[in-house]
Amino acid sequence: MSIAIETRGLTKRFGGLVALDGVDLQAAAGETLGIIGVNGAGKTTLMNCICGLYRPDGGDVFISGERVTGQPPHVVAHKGIGRTFQVPRVFRKMSLIDNLLVPVLDHRASDAELTERAEGMLARMQLIDLRHNYAEELSGGQQKLLEMARMLMPDPPIVMLDEPFAGVHPVLCKFMIERIEEMSGAGKAVLLISHDLTSIYRLSTRVVALNQGKVIAEGGVDDIRGNPAVIEAYLGT
Amino acid sequence: MMPVSSRPQDSADRIYFTLVALIGGALMIYFALVPVFGLNVAFHFYLMLWITMASAFNVSSGFSGYLPFGYVAFYGIGAFTTAILVKKAAFPVFLALPFSGVAGLVLALLFAPTLRLSGIYFGIVSLALAGICRLVITNMPEEITGGSFGLQLGSRAHPVQSFYVMMAVMVVALATILWLSRSRLGKALRATRDDADAAEMMGINVPRVRLYGWMIAAFFPAVCGGVEAWYTNVVDTETAFNTLITAKTVIYAVAGGLGTVTGPIIGAVAMVWLDELIWRQFPLLNLLILGVATVALVLFLPRGIVGSILRRKPQWRRYVP
Ligand SMILES: Nc1ncnc2c1ncn2[C@@H]1O[C@H](COP(=O)(O)OP(=O)(O)O)[C@@H](O)[C@H]1O
Ligand SMILES: [Mg+2]
Repeated sequence: MSIAIETRGLTKRFGGLVALDGVDLQAAAGETLGIIGVNGAGKTTLMNCICGLYRPDGGDVFISGERVTGQPPHVVAHKGIGRTFQVPRVFRKMSLIDNLLVPVLDHRASDAELTERAEGMLARMQLIDLRHNYAEELSGGQQKLLEMARMLMPDPPIVMLDEPFAGVHPVLCKFMIERIEEMSGAGKAVLLISHDLTSIYRLSTRVVALNQGKVIAEGGVDDIRGNPAVIEAYLGT
Repeated sequence: MMPVSSRPQDSADRIYFTLVALIGGALMIYFALVPVFGLNVAFHFYLMLWITMASAFNVSSGFSGYLPFGYVAFYGIGAFTTAILVKKAAFPVFLALPFSGVAGLVLALLFAPTLRLSGIYFGIVSLALAGICRLVITNMPEEITGGSFGLQLGSRAHPVQSFYVMMAVMVVALATILWLSRSRLGKALRATRDDADAAEMMGINVPRVRLYGWMIAAFFPAVCGGVEAWYTNVVDTETAFNTLITAKTVIYAVAGGLGTVTGPIIGAVAMVWLDELIWRQFPLLNLLILGVATVALVLFLPRGIVGSILRRKPQWRRYVP
């Protein structure tokens, strides 16, 4: 299997705080890599460094073998990576359709083709009836679905999901889990962040546990489940 | 024959373009006939000027999310460019006017680094830069700028010709903004306005998109300044860089509603008429009453006329340009 995304020694400091401390990870196409850790472990920071929003203080990010460290986010996005956010960041005063068109504005396909694709995507996310509404008119859970749809529009080979289940109704959670399974089923490398272990254990092929910016454990779901370091990080000493 | 399709999007588009044709056609026919029927040319000249100014401002604030409190800088630079070229370099007016637009673009490029600021910081820096522009022009040698007397363009005045040139500028501006509002650049701008970091992570080259929007917003007021210089036949720093020009532009655009193409048009038409009416009835109190009307409008229709209607009728958003 080819490595879709890789970080080597990724380090990020905020003043004196070391948010990421030499993080190494890899995810292959079709693989779902779960990233767990308590609040403040550095999960979101990891994503922000990968997609270029933050410039890491050390280490490197590779997408399909190509080094993208320090590139601006729009360049990194075009290497084939999409993401969602812990707190949804939709384009509030744009229609759902227009929200979906944003990541594909520089695609060659005609407006009509792209609109049709966007409508198909919205239908899959059960948002089609709201397609002309402004994104700000959606509920929090619906905004998370909209973000997923928007992320999938350019069909990126790598996707990163930041706490997709946080604050989401159980029925919607189940729906989202199915969509995420579809993504890895379609051969995408999925980086899945959650502090909720149940959903991670269900979806992930492998898990990386972060604590205070460091990888404290890595392996299959069963290895992680019983790992004393993970249990200690979660339950405290 | 075009294939007949029943997709709802197509019928929405049909209504949209019918509205565009109706509103645009009515505006054009009305204005084109003003000199023919001996209506008030001055009033309508300024009406078109304010429609253009408010619409161009909308590209900056409504589409891009910037509030340039020093917007008058583009207008002033355009006014002086035409005046100086005509008066000092003996340019024909028609040749000078495009240079006003270019001057606006150059100024926009000079100010481009300020696009990194946002919100009130951008607004204040913009205001300061407009002050600096005015200072620079005030302190240029009198032989070029005419000093405190300003520059008289003398025999170049031609109210009817300048009226139709203003009309052409308005039509080009509105067509550009109409295109922008449906274009991919327009969507990129709006995304950037709503959440610049998210837009960047979705692959939008944010600085570049912002610069394009900024240049469109700068070009038209600069040309307006040039046309107005020609129309009134005189340019001085006091009037060309008057803060009231920014204030009126903002009020008209906000009154109609930012973010739509029709908003600033309707806002400018409503407010310029109101201004004229009040001024005729209460010549002494007109600024006060206009101020109260503006405050009332902002209080009761915070999204402007068009914005408030579309808030209540979201299903109309697709049809209203
Ligand atoms: N932009 C920032 N500025 C300063 N500190 C930050 C910033 N982003 C994150 N941090 C800090 O970095 C640490 C990791 O945060 P984060 O990556 O959000 O954790 P997680 O997503 O695992 O909950 C936290 O201590 C947080 O306060
Ligand atoms: Mg987080």
